Amino acid sequence: MKQLFPLKQVMGFVFSLVLTAVALLVYFLNLSFTAGMTILLITAFVQAGLQLVIFMHAGESKDKGPIYTNIFYGFIIALVSIFGTLLTMLWDM
Amino acid sequence: MNHSSTQPLEYSTKQNSLNILGFWIFLGAEIMLFGTLFASYFTLENRIGNGPSSAEIFQIAPVIVETLLLLTSSFTIGLAIHAMRLRHKKAMLSFFAVTLILGLVFIGVEVYEFVHYVHIGAGIQVSAFTAILFTLLGTHGAHVTLGLFWGIMIMLQVKKRGINEQTANKSFIFSLYWHFLDVVWIFIFSFVYLKGMM
Repeated sequence: MKQLFPLKQVMGFVFSLVLTAVALLVYFLNLSFTAGMTILLITAFVQAGLQLVIFMHAGESKDKGPIYTNIFYGFIIALVSIFGTLLTMLWDM
Repeated sequence: MNHSSTQPLEYSTKQNSLNILGFWIFLGAEIMLFGTLFASYFTLENRIGNGPSSAEIFQIAPVIVETLLLLTSSFTIGLAIHAMRLRHKKAMLSFFAVTLILGLVFIGVEVYEFVHYVHIGAGIQVSAFTAILFTLLGTHGAHVTLGLFWGIMIMLQVKKRGINEQTANKSFIFSLYWHFLDVVWIFIFSFVYLKGMM
């Protein structure tokens, strides 16, 4: 039974619950917008990285170079789309 | 390519390795798809017209439940793949079943949430905000729903054919998809719900 619950994945799950609890602080505490967004950005991206590395085994095969390159590329395009849109549509620059 | 015996079964042929790499490339495209939806959401979230704002309609309880369901299902599909690598078919199928049940309950809670929004006057046609909200959440929910049917097919194949090169490869690729949906949810949870209720 024990071998079906590898420590690495159990710890990953516990850590992801902790990150969720920390993110929930922005709801339960009265934080400024900047402080709240800082917490959310950190918890969300750490959580995403945790899923990719621990649960999706992104680095385990010989294709890890292409896999990481592709995922970073996807994220960069997504972030450029999002921040480019914010710049032109919301921040009036 | 090097196919050493230390490689897990799901990578064991050239075709299998390429299937996995190909699926990662698909996930890269999915990241960009959701990136554009988030960009639209941030643009439109304050355009509420005569309808309600995000702070007025979001409820914390269903959001916490949905988050815990998806996080746990992401953990159990990881355990399913671990069991598969131990060639433990029964445990693998059990973890798969738990994952899909958690996914089904997630969809149930989300449907409840959508019905609730429509009920309190925040249907998809009310404002630019509700339109993009339903589009973003709906695109994610549609992915989870598709994953439920896909997962059932994989379970049937593993049950019938056992754990072999093909079924292991298909199961692993399904696990990538499921973890990815959890990653997308984390961003929805943080930048749609929590930001909206902050």
